Amino acid sequence: MSDLLEVKDLCKSYRHKSYWFNRKETSVLAPISFSVEANQTLAVIGETGSGKSTLAKLLVGAEPASGGCVYLNGQALKSTSYKQRCQHIRMIFQDSGTTLNPSLTILQLLDEPLKLNTSLDEIKRKELIRTTLQKVGLLGDHMNFYPHMFSGGQKQRISLARAIILQPQVIILDEALASLDPSLRSQMINLLLDLQHQMGLAYILISHNLGIIRHFSDNIIVLSQGEVVESGKTRDVMNNPQHKVTKKLLMNQSFQLKPKRK
Amino acid sequence: MNLLDIRNLSIELIHDDQRILAVDKVSLSMKEGEVRGVVGESGSGKSLLAQALVGVLDDKWHVHADRFHWRGVDLLRLSIDERKALLSRDVAMIFQEPMACLDPTTSIGEQLTEAIDSSQLTGYFWQRKKQRQSAAIKLLHKVGIKNHQACLTSYPHQLTEALCQRVMIAIALARRPILLIADEPTAAMENTNEGQIFRLLASLNQLKNMSILLISHDLETITHWTNTITVMYSGQFVEAGTTAQIFGKPLHPYTRALVDSSPSANLHLPAKSRLKTLPGSIPILQHLPIGCRLGPRCPRAQQACVKAPTVTNFHGHKVSCHFPLTPLKSTPKKTRKGTS
Repeated sequence: MSDLLEVKDLCKSYRHKSYWFNRKETSVLAPISFSVEANQTLAVIGETGSGKSTLAKLLVGAEPASGGCVYLNGQALKSTSYKQRCQHIRMIFQDSGTTLNPSLTILQLLDEPLKLNTSLDEIKRKELIRTTLQKVGLLGDHMNFYPHMFSGGQKQRISLARAIILQPQVIILDEALASLDPSLRSQMINLLLDLQHQMGLAYILISHNLGIIRHFSDNIIVLSQGEVVESGKTRDVMNNPQHKVTKKLLMNQSFQLKPKRK
Repeated sequence: MNLLDIRNLSIELIHDDQRILAVDKVSLSMKEGEVRGVVGESGSGKSLLAQALVGVLDDKWHVHADRFHWRGVDLLRLSIDERKALLSRDVAMIFQEPMACLDPTTSIGEQLTEAIDSSQLTGYFWQRKKQRQSAAIKLLHKVGIKNHQACLTSYPHQLTEALCQRVMIAIALARRPILLIADEPTAAMENTNEGQIFRLLASLNQLKNMSILLISHDLETITHWTNTITVMYSGQFVEAGTTAQIFGKPLHPYTRALVDSSPSANLHLPAKSRLKTLPGSIPILQHLPIGCRLGPRCPRAQQACVKAPTVTNFHGHKVSCHFPLTPLKSTPKKTRKGTS
């Protein structure tokens, strides 16, 4: 089976605006390549400043890449083709409270991507919103509510609804589970796993929590200063880390699994 | 003698002639040199509890307690000024967003020297400034900052989050407290930094015999560092016991769910299988269920749960539930050490 999303030599560097001849560049992301299949989850871990969030921004098209190419189903995505990109690659952000516009109802919030990307009429759009809300475990009547009327976990579900409403193929979760309480977080993981099963979604999961990564992901890449230092099956990497960055990351969390010995 | 002994602490908020019990009869006791974790999800009142301990809640909150003893002294009988003097000498607190808590307009050095009490300094007034400076440097060394000169002259935004948290701990240590309250000290921090901060707190606990009250929303991050844990849910006391008891043999359905829902605690679980969770979400303060507040979400709820359960002590393992997971009549087995 061919890969759903394939990234080849994607890189990003920022240019300092100094003198005309003395241009300097800082490389944030060295050329990296990886691929994701449908129904699979790729986890990205790394320390602060290792380029995890930059990678997410490049994939979703929020920032133009300096080089390299992203292939979706074997077809190259141009940096200008926003329409194609936002239909197929969607993103969920960390803080669900601030990503929803407080002055719009849920109906208006979810209507916006449909208006921009599809040619459905109003009745069909409303019906689609209703079914999508039910899919993420909310009620259809919730669409007339404003974001402040929901709790944190429910807001995260609305962001998920906004992500899946266009029937995407890839969803990027940038620390989307970090700000949730533990019991809501496991509900959200269950929901994400169910949706993956039903819709064949591929996830790119950026997270600190190695427990969740171990549970949730199939493959993993470890970033350090913009470079991929280790990649492979999650289980293999977790059980037998090779690079010292991976070892350091794992060491800092592995002891949390057992209570303190007296 | 217990360091801290609180019995039935309630915190009430009066809002539009409506009384909201934000914290409902929570008991907490700490021994000297103990690291106690307080675990609860958002809205469980764990931060309120800490703030009530230090006495920084403002007038709209009403705090009642049946007993509030600090090292044998009944704090409820002291006047406000006496209580403040006693607590500010012995108790220090650090907060969750260190960058937001430090003053952005003054340098770290100034903030640190300000915290040093002049009663600790000896000598004449012209020697004081130098002594303060050297005391500040010593404090920075204590929390593991070697490059003290650069740190003292910099402003909070120039330091990383973990360094800021270290500075916060240094400020808290300035008065040599007996109890340090850490309110989510590592929220939104990287793994490596989180480990550093916890290791620093653990070493302070061991070397200086300082007791630590560690507040967190996540059971799995603090289990390694605590001796005993108190679990709270929505302002009510749920369960308290040693870490091994709570983690290895939880009695309350809520604690059970917390342990089950953490993927890192259940390594035997096959990847991508469903996690066990409680249905529903955390109730908001305006619409709290009566009786046991877990009631609507609890898998074992029965009719009796509309009345708040009393705390049952079970060989030091306290639980507040009508239908705990292991029947209380049978004698408890000895908890194995270091079980997962």
